[in-house]
Amino acid sequence: MRRLVASPLVALGFAAASLTVASPASAHGYVSSPPSRQALCASGRVGDCGPIQYEPQSVEGPKGQRNCHGGLGRFAVLNDDGRNWPATPVGTSVTFNWVLTARHSTSSWEYWIGDRRVAFFEDGGKQPNATVSHQVSLAGFSGRQKLLAIWNIGDTPMAFYNCIDLQVGGGGGTPVPTASPTARPTARPTATPSVRPSARPSATPSAVPTTRPTPPTVPSGSEWAPGTTYRTGDEVTYQGLRYRCRQSHTSIVTWEPSYYTLALWLPI
Amino acid sequence: MRKLHLAAVALAAALLAGCGSAAPEPVGRAQTAPPAADATYNDTDVTFLQMMIAHHGQTLEILKLAHTRGTSEQVALLTGAIEATQTTELEVMKGWLASWGEAATGGHASHAAHASHAAGGALPITAADEMASLRKASTAQFQTVFLNVLIGHQHSAIEMARQETGGGVNPQAKELAQRIDRSRTEQIKQLLAMVAS
Repeated sequence: MRRLVASPLVALGFAAASLTVASPASAHGYVSSPPSRQALCASGRVGDCGPIQYEPQSVEGPKGQRNCHGGLGRFAVLNDDGRNWPATPVGTSVTFNWVLTARHSTSSWEYWIGDRRVAFFEDGGKQPNATVSHQVSLAGFSGRQKLLAIWNIGDTPMAFYNCIDLQVGGGGGTPVPTASPTARPTARPTATPSVRPSARPSATPSAVPTTRPTPPTVPSGSEWAPGTTYRTGDEVTYQGLRYRCRQSHTSIVTWEPSYYTLALWLPI
Repeated sequence: MRKLHLAAVALAAALLAGCGSAAPEPVGRAQTAPPAADATYNDTDVTFLQMMIAHHGQTLEILKLAHTRGTSEQVALLTGAIEATQTTELEVMKGWLASWGEAATGGHASHAAHASHAAGGALPITAADEMASLRKASTAQFQTVFLNVLIGHQHSAIEMARQETGGGVNPQAKELAQRIDRSRTEQIKQLLAMVAS
C-alpha cells in the first residue's frame, strides 16, 4: 500500500530522515555467519578496516548493485578483494544467518556468485523476524568463492550488501587470520600440573582448579589485561590495587576493575 | 528543548553530597560507592537513561532464557559477565533518575518513536520479537539464534548511546554512554567470533 507513494518522494523522505538522525544514520543488518566481510571487521578478525568495524550493519545503498560496499566510499575496504579475506570452509548447503537491528518491510533476499543468482527469497513486503536465516544450495561450486548476499527493502529504494568469502566443498583450509581472535585456546595449557595433588595443599593456590582444562593461567597478581580468560579466584593488579576474580570471564575493555564490575572483581 | 532542571534537583544533589557519595574518590582506593550524577541534565539524558533501563531489562530477560535453554560454556561465561555488569549499570541508571526526581520508565509511545527515529523510520526490533524468535528456535538452532539476537540487541544499545553522546549534557550520563558504546562493541567482537565458529 505504501507503494502508491511515488518513488522520488520516498527517496526524499528517506534522505530527510537520515539527516535528522545522529550517526550512524542507517544501521540495520548484515550476515554474521558464515561471517561477511563486515562481520570479520567488527569481530576484529580482520584488522585495519576503518569505520565499518563500528557499524557492520550499515552497508546500505541503492538497489541493483553488485558490489560488497553498497557503493559507499567510506566502506570501500569491503570491496577490496586484495585484502586476503579469510574464507570459511563450507559444504554445498550453507545456512546464512543475519543480524538485524530494524524490521524493514522486506521485498526480497538475493544470493549471488559472480553473474549467477544462486538463491532468491521473496518476502512480498512483510517484516522479518528479529533474526533471519536462509539455507542456500551451492551445488556446482567448489573452491574459493565470493558470495554476495543482498537484503532488498520493501518500502525504500535501498538494499543492504554483504560479501562472504567461502571455501566450498571443504579442503583448501582457512587462510591465517590477519588479527588474532579473542583468546580461545585450543590446546591444553602446558602449565597444567600433570599430577593432581591427592591431599589438600597447605597453601591455597591462587588459581582454583576447575573441572575443565583452564586456558593459559594468569600468573597471580599480574596486571589486568583485556582479552584474557580469568577464572574465579585469579588475582590481578589494576592501577596499583589488587583484585580477586569473583566470576570467570574473558575480559574486555570496560570490564577492568571499577564500580561497574564489582560483581567480577573484588578489591582485596 | 534542552531545558535544564537545575532547580528541581538542587535538593537531591545536596542530599547526595551530604551522603558523601558525590565526593571525589580518594586516590588509591577501590571505588565501591555508586557514581553520582551531576544535577545538570536535559531531555536527551532522561530519555537515554529511561530507554537504556528498558533495554537492559530486556537484555537480562534474553540472558535468562539462554540459561534455561542452555549454551556452550564459552557463551555462558560471556553472558554471565554481561548479566553481572549490566545489573550494576541498571542500578546506577535508576539511581540517577531517582536523584533527579524523574521516572525510571518513559511513556511507551515516546520510546517507540525515539527508537523508530534511530532506525531511520523503520520499525525497531522489539523485545517481543526477540523473545519470540528465541522461543521458536529448536534446540539445535538455539545458540545461533540467541547469539544473533544478542548481537542485534547490543548494536541497538550502541545506537542509543551515540544519541546520548551527541545530544546529552550530563557528564556522567555521557560517560556511561561512551562506556556502553565501547563495552558493547567489545562484546559484539566476542559474540561474532562465537557465532562464526
